Amino acid sequence: MKYSYYPGCSLHSSAKEFDISTKVVMKELEIELEELQDWSCCGGSIAGGVDHNIGMALAARNVVLAQNQNQDLLAACSGCYNKSAKAAQALENEQERAKITSILTDMGMSVSNQKIKVRNVVDVLVNDLDIAPKIKKPLTGLKVACYYGCLLTRPADITGWDSPVFPMSLDKLAQKCGAEVVDFRSKTKCCGGPILVPQEEVAFEMTKKLLDEAKSLGADCIILACPLCSNNLELRQPDIEKKYNVNYNLPILYITELIGLALGIKPRKLGLDKHLVSTKPVLAKVS
Amino acid sequence: MVKKKCFFGIKTDRQVDGDKMNAKLSQEVLAQGGENAAINACMQCGTCSGGCPNAERMDLLPRSLVLMVQRGEWEKVLKSQTLWLCSSCHTCTSRCPRGVRPTDVIEAVKAIAIREGIKNDSVRFNQIFVELIEKRGILFEPELMLKYGGLKALVDQAELGIKLTLKGKLSPFPPKVKEPKKFSEALTKAVKK
Repeated sequence: MKYSYYPGCSLHSSAKEFDISTKVVMKELEIELEELQDWSCCGGSIAGGVDHNIGMALAARNVVLAQNQNQDLLAACSGCYNKSAKAAQALENEQERAKITSILTDMGMSVSNQKIKVRNVVDVLVNDLDIAPKIKKPLTGLKVACYYGCLLTRPADITGWDSPVFPMSLDKLAQKCGAEVVDFRSKTKCCGGPILVPQEEVAFEMTKKLLDEAKSLGADCIILACPLCSNNLELRQPDIEKKYNVNYNLPILYITELIGLALGIKPRKLGLDKHLVSTKPVLAKVS
Repeated sequence: MVKKKCFFGIKTDRQVDGDKMNAKLSQEVLAQGGENAAINACMQCGTCSGGCPNAERMDLLPRSLVLMVQRGEWEKVLKSQTLWLCSSCHTCTSRCPRGVRPTDVIEAVKAIAIREGIKNDSVRFNQIFVELIEKRGILFEPELMLKYGGLKALVDQAELGIKLTLKGKLSPFPPKVKEPKKFSEALTKAVKK
């Protein structure tokens, strides 16, 4: 199977390890990724709140690029995935399609009737592939908290491949890797990502609750699939520690990194050395 | 004016009242946000408010916000802090038993509020974010921080910036799409319409 792979802004900057590990793991699992040519930002959760049509056009642009490549779109970032899937749905609606088409035509693009699917890496990993026979190095003894956040599974009419209330896909994948999954009650609670900058205090409080629960459950790390969540949970972890005078030192790993480790791929090849919160405690447990 | 309260502290101005409905604002919201921002189906059950992770900080809970849109209370809606506390987590949208999408409603109201000239840090941040994407098509975060928070933000974030650079995660060159001019012009034209 071959996909048009849409990395998005974060995977080329602060979430580089997500990009690296996605490519390496997919290659190992014999899924071919062709990077979407000339992709642009999906607009995230912000653009639509400034102007609906701008938000839609930004997200739809990438879907149309994939249509023109005649391949399903595969996104790793939950946000890019969600917005692209929403745009693909909007292209089916006559009114929305007309508005989107007019903007994209001005960009010099042609919107075809080609039907493609927008998929997320987690969806493909759990529903299309069977990773179990390929596990070479089970992560026995590693306790993980799987965190889904918002956009990976909500709203269900856009996503639809896992429960928006009690999702299990990351848990299942981690279990297949041999890790012990803790019962993380906050797994679908928002980290406050989109409001981090203008409402820092609120976002920190929301993120702190997640770190608190994961820590109290004795998790060795949090597993996720969203660079924006990781921004709050990992990059801003020192700021939260300082503000609340606590100490977490909790590694945050992308699901593809966890799977890569279990597939026996070297940590450096997966980008595990690129984290700001050291992943050494995790590696020490599994080796 | 002292707000009248009936039993249990329920605010009487937050209840459904057929005489007070005014479709003008909800039509405006529909025009901005499209079919997903339709609210006629709302039966005011409050499931949205019950699941909202930020409800405790909001001046209008999602249910009340939807009601105020239905009643056409422009001022209350546009001045509400709720708009800027919503983190678009879609919990309300996935739980609504009537298929209403408060996330999309709030998104449309935010755009209207910006158009109507509401000013605050969130508005400023969101506008700069979109402006920068319109410029090159791909976000360059240091530029966003500089434009939003000025030199102070760059200094405050310097440590994080250095760490990211050392890890090879921060390029000094802003990425862009192949034809930024065409990209940018198409989007600017769409806003002017």
